[in-house]
Amino acid sequence: MFKRNKTKTLDMTLTHDGKNWIASNKTIKLAASSLGELDRKIENALRDEFVDNKRLNVFMAFDNEAIPMWIRPYMNHYFNRILVLPIQR
Amino acid sequence: MTQENNTDFGSLNTEDLDTSSVLEGAEEWSPIETKLVVGSFIAAGIALIIGLIIVPTSILH
Amino acid sequence: MSKIQRFWYSGMLSTEDWWAVWLGLAFFSLGLLTLLGIDLVGWIAYPSKWVFNMPEGAISKKIVTIDKAFYALGGKYSLTARDTYQSLGPIGSILVTYIIFTIATVTGAYFQKWDVKRYFIGWTFIFFLTYLVWFIGHHAFFAASAVDLKRSHFPAMFTLSLGGGASFILALMAGLIIGNFFKPLARYLSEAAKPEWFIKTAIVFLGVKVGYLPIKAAATSEKIGHALADLTLDLFIAGAAATIVAYLIFWPGVYTISRLIFKLPRKTAAVLASAISICGVSAAVATGGAVRARPVVSIMVSSLVVVYAVIELVILPGVFTHIWPGIKDPMVAGAAMGMAVKTDGADAAAGELLDEFMRAKMDETSNGTVIWPEGIITVSAVMTKIWIDMFIGLWAFLLAMIWVYKIERQEGEKVPFSEVWFRFPKFVLGYFIAWFVYLGIFFGPGHGGSAEGMSVLKAAEAGAVPVEKGMRKLFFMLTFMSLGIITDFKKLAEAQFSKMIWVYFIALFFFIIPVASIIAYLFHHGMTLPNMATPGSALLGG
Repeated sequence: MFKRNKTKTLDMTLTHDGKNWIASNKTIKLAASSLGELDRKIENALRDEFVDNKRLNVFMAFDNEAIPMWIRPYMNHYFNRILVLPIQR
Repeated sequence: MTQENNTDFGSLNTEDLDTSSVLEGAEEWSPIETKLVVGSFIAAGIALIIGLIIVPTSILH
Repeated sequence: MSKIQRFWYSGMLSTEDWWAVWLGLAFFSLGLLTLLGIDLVGWIAYPSKWVFNMPEGAISKKIVTIDKAFYALGGKYSLTARDTYQSLGPIGSILVTYIIFTIATVTGAYFQKWDVKRYFIGWTFIFFLTYLVWFIGHHAFFAASAVDLKRSHFPAMFTLSLGGGASFILALMAGLIIGNFFKPLARYLSEAAKPEWFIKTAIVFLGVKVGYLPIKAAATSEKIGHALADLTLDLFIAGAAATIVAYLIFWPGVYTISRLIFKLPRKTAAVLASAISICGVSAAVATGGAVRARPVVSIMVSSLVVVYAVIELVILPGVFTHIWPGIKDPMVAGAAMGMAVKTDGADAAAGELLDEFMRAKMDETSNGTVIWPEGIITVSAVMTKIWIDMFIGLWAFLLAMIWVYKIERQEGEKVPFSEVWFRFPKFVLGYFIAWFVYLGIFFGPGHGGSAEGMSVLKAAEAGAVPVEKGMRKLFFMLTFMSLGIITDFKKLAEAQFSKMIWVYFIALFFFIIPVASIIAYLFHHGMTLPNMATPGSALLGG
């Protein structure tokens, strides 16, 4: 369940501001109205990280702060997702 | 109101939210949805039969 | 500071779910110390049915005078500190209860980074209001049945015969009055009105109850002890089967109603289907995440769920007791409740109310010749709900895969399996630990209720009763009160919900509740409750 695979993993925090999905870490912050568009922006921003056919997993953990406080006790988790770069089209 | 003393909302305030598209703009029903719904009902039927046989307090016993 | 779930231990010190485990297991562990002769739980203040003055010829048995309206449970059940706990008196035991639970819950509030001062003030208000309502609700007019009156040699008089249910109804009413007519106060109190936290803690205490039931019954007879142990395990198995079937029928049914009749978009239909058919707010959030919906969908649906859940809580216990299935099938009613009523708080509260109503009705109907064990109907309602809660993580994971890989394919996206754990309800761990430890005591050192194990079982009872009876009921009362405080019926009139309200209404009352009742009947009809009305029906005369 929690074992690490060999592919390099980059952690990002995901949130939503009511209009856009926002993915960020210490160095970058990207926003888009759909997850698909956000993924493409992330791919462009991180292009240097997966050169030479190396894969990169971007682990996006949703920040539950975005969920109203009264709802959080019912369910502490919205969702996490992994984006595998480069995106195979 | 700050986050700390506001228990009604998180960083997402419902006033900020675009609620219009939640109820409108229904997509066409697609075949994959039929699969999902029918598959679920079939699985329920199978689970029901197995359950009624296995569970000692079911009406089959 | 962000709140993310990244590692298996994320949230252990910062979420209500985990804090229900810590609180529940802390008091459960203190209760276990009675096995070593140390009683640290007997202080909990518990109500008795009371009157202002005893009528002539009446005896203080089931009904007492006002000055004895509360007592420390240890004063009755403790083997080692009975005198100490008796000496607390009603006010002393309430104050000790307040101090100990204030320390415990304020600690939880601190670690969850709530506004501790506001929590403390709100908690204090809610705690004492709860005890006041508990006191009023136990006046003989509300609570005493004709059988209670007879046992206490009272003259025949009119009473509502609601048992402990009266207090729950009054607590909910008091909460609703605050929540709907004193909104600034309700907003202030909302920092401490935490029905989910209180009920999850109460459910861990209920785990003690499930394990303790055979121990209590063994005092009547070894056979009844075994029968109750078997019954709880039957509930566990039947609950799992019924829940799986219910899930697989409810979800596609409501999804189809939402999509084809009410023409809702896919993601809204999916979130609504989970909320109405599975476990309310938690399912709405889990499914919203699974289908990658914008959070607004889950937030809107959740606002509806909490209001409808309270409507169900008000209606269903009475309907199941007096219309169908009635006292013929109490386990069917409990299981159906667990599948039909959304949110843990409203369901467990409805189960508890059902337990009170059913037992009071049976007592009345049989003229006191049949007495059912207290709490088992609550257990039946909670058991199906616990299975539902556990399955939601798995269901949301499957749905996420179907959604992301098939329905709305996202190139490059993978669904991490760790999602199942992050959505797993942690409080059920406390429930199962408490249950199985007491069950282990019953079958292990308790020798299954035979004479040689009786001394161990008596020691276990002294620690279990204050937790499973006193603390559990207190946390149920706090849940009823808090549910009322945070429920604003005006929400239903908000224009933004429009047709969602009707989807919810139709799906709930014309699909979910009838189907839940049928499934509960199919799996639970064979269950019967043992009669505890034999001489010496409790180890210590309780």
